Amino acid sequence: MKQDKIFADHVSVAYEKGDKNFLAVDDVTLSIQEGEFVVIVGPSGCGKTTFMNTLAGLVKPIRGKVFMDGEEITGPSAERGVVFQQFALFPWKTVFENIEFGLKYRGIPKDERSEIVRKYILMVKLDGFENSFPHELSGGMKQRVAIARVYANRPQILLMDEPFGALDAQTRTIMQEDLSGMFMMEKRTVVFITHSVDEAVYLGDRVIIMTARPGKFKKIINVTDDGLIPNRRNMGYDDVVNLKAFRELRGELWGLIKAEIVEKHIL
Amino acid sequence: MAMKTFGPQFLERIYREKVVLSLSSVLGFIFCWYLITDILGLIPALFLPSPEKVFFTIYEKIYIPVGQSTLFGHVGVSLLRILVGTMIALGIAIPLGILMGWYEDLDSVMQPIIEVLRPIPPIAWIPLAILWFGIGLGSKVFIIGIGVFFPTLINTYMGVKFVDPILIKAAQTLGARDKDVLREVILPASVPLIAAGIRIGVGLGMMCLVAAELVAASSGLGYLIMLGGDDLKPELSITGMILIGIIGLLADTLILAVEKKVVYWKK
Amino acid sequence: MAEARKIRSRRRFILSILSVIVVLGGWFVLTMVLRWVPPAFLPPPQNILTDFFRLLNKSYVGHTLIGHTLVSLQIVLGGFLLAVLIGVPMGIMMGWFKRIEAIVDPLFQLLRPIPPLAWIPLSLLWFGIGISSKIFVIWLSAFVPCVINAYTGIRLTEPLLVKAALGLGVKRQRDLLREVAIPSALPVILGGVRIGLGSAWMTLVAAELLASDAGLGYMMQMARRALEPSIIILGMLIIGILGAIMARGLKMLEKRICPWVMDKER
Repeated sequence: MKQDKIFADHVSVAYEKGDKNFLAVDDVTLSIQEGEFVVIVGPSGCGKTTFMNTLAGLVKPIRGKVFMDGEEITGPSAERGVVFQQFALFPWKTVFENIEFGLKYRGIPKDERSEIVRKYILMVKLDGFENSFPHELSGGMKQRVAIARVYANRPQILLMDEPFGALDAQTRTIMQEDLSGMFMMEKRTVVFITHSVDEAVYLGDRVIIMTARPGKFKKIINVTDDGLIPNRRNMGYDDVVNLKAFRELRGELWGLIKAEIVEKHIL
Repeated sequence: MAMKTFGPQFLERIYREKVVLSLSSVLGFIFCWYLITDILGLIPALFLPSPEKVFFTIYEKIYIPVGQSTLFGHVGVSLLRILVGTMIALGIAIPLGILMGWYEDLDSVMQPIIEVLRPIPPIAWIPLAILWFGIGLGSKVFIIGIGVFFPTLINTYMGVKFVDPILIKAAQTLGARDKDVLREVILPASVPLIAAGIRIGVGLGMMCLVAAELVAASSGLGYLIMLGGDDLKPELSITGMILIGIIGLLADTLILAVEKKVVYWKK
Repeated sequence: MAEARKIRSRRRFILSILSVIVVLGGWFVLTMVLRWVPPAFLPPPQNILTDFFRLLNKSYVGHTLIGHTLVSLQIVLGGFLLAVLIGVPMGIMMGWFKRIEAIVDPLFQLLRPIPPLAWIPLSLLWFGIGISSKIFVIWLSAFVPCVINAYTGIRLTEPLLVKAALGLGVKRQRDLLREVAIPSALPVILGGVRIGLGSAWMTLVAAELLASDAGLGYMMQMARRALEPSIIILGMLIIGILGAIMARGLKMLEKRICPWVMDKER
């Protein structure tokens, strides 16, 4: 059997608030194959971000281990790129310099770096803003820089924490289509966190629904493997969204999440 | 108070009224000063010289030495002391602050020493400084140094220690190792606080300069002010006070301008 | 996770204690054992302690330790309170009424750059070597931050809050000032008061070094002339501790008066 790209083995993660410990993720096991697009959906505060941080190597689990290519993950790495919810752009660097950041540590010479950066600036449609500073940009623009910065670094695994959250609906749709298309062309492994059920069903090969805190996996739906929405990645966003299969799936997922919210009194 | 329409004429009127009031108050002040000293002779020159006298004193002392130097000599000496004291203090405070913020062990070792020394006002060091270094340049530089040292150290330390952790995480997931993070993220991120610390420190240093020169000096602007009091020539004191005020303003404006330039990425 | 934190804080604690021991020990060794430093220069650490206890009851240059401390405290608090009582209202007036600002501000800005300490000789000339000259300078040094912060605090009143009050029926300028501007400015005002206290304390020390016949600064000057650095250091430590206590006290008062302010320091 081919080695899992990522294997999380009975992982539990805690976080501190004041001097008390709360369990954010409760005994979760997950295997991700290379080239899979996994989406994690769940109510607010269910531990999705914490789990992703653990996969990234930024947080140590209190129980269990995480492996990448069979080796235990002990810290962050450029091979596990993260797009943070809060953008995390370096305010003293321009858009160009931000996107260029990781490339320097890969030893890529200057000319090549410029080429790569320009390519991704065009891809996220920020041409003209190469020399702007983050404080001059809108929320949506900052998020696109954050995405381009990680894309440009070409990590083996892309960990994306609500990367399209600050974008307006139109830009969001376009970015989703772009990501889906890119994923078809350059197959990479993606772990994607979102609140939006639509986004999850549109993008994910596998969709995992997480329970409220402490987070466990409530249900896993294999959209691609079970052929639930065939030929999805070749169609545009609104074509997919109008499919009966899509609507049924979305309804099912939303029902599950809503039950979580209502039962656990999150709202 | 009826609300009038806010036409451009109205605002013009307010602005003009303000300027008129401000000007008249300054002129009124100078006139009153003149009145009670020269014209009405209410206050003898021994206590408060007329503005005219002060003006001429300044003019005169540019050429005729008082104490051991001319006016420029005194200004020069004061400036020299401030510069040397500031340079030495910054040379120690900034690197130390950075190291303390970065290496927690060094922080633990230095904290108690600093917490004991910091609350002691720099001026309180004067008797000890005179005991150790005499009345020369050394004691002044020492006092000014202490004044500049602590605010700069604290601000540098805070700047390094309280860098937004997500920026560090972003750098790590883009391939930066520890030393790279220090250089590329922590240092630029802490520059605003370091610059503010320098500005506060130098402000304090100027006060220390005056204090040290008042207590034990034979040259400098503080000495001049003291001499005026001793020799019953208040015009000398006022001259010194005006010059110190001007130098203080210039220094603050200069540092503020440098600060704005160095922190080029903020609004 | 929490265990890692506990280990770190214990390590921190041990390192801090060790550092203090090393410093005190080194000091002791330098002065008593190796005798590399003459006692007229740097006293052995225990001298400071013995002098502390000695001076509690016995007079030194006129007063006991407590006596000097009280003298200093009285002068500082007197000048400081006067500065707050005059400075804060003045700053508020300047912040709220543009006309008052136009009249007072230019004079204020002219006199502001002059360090309060620089006024000492003039003050001595005018008021003599008594208490008034010191109170004047101390008042001046606390006055400036009080005014500036009161002014800034009022100016920073959120126009939105004023509009909300107007919409709720508050009409007179006087009421707006009292109900909206001043409460919202309180944190900044109290910050200025705290700065003023620190400034006043520093100025007091300088004033006492220059012309006094009692007080902690005077005590340190005399000790310097008598080549007794242990008393100088004793004075320094007491000044430092008193300053810290006063600052802490004000901070606690701030928390009481403005419970709605969030702590920005971690």
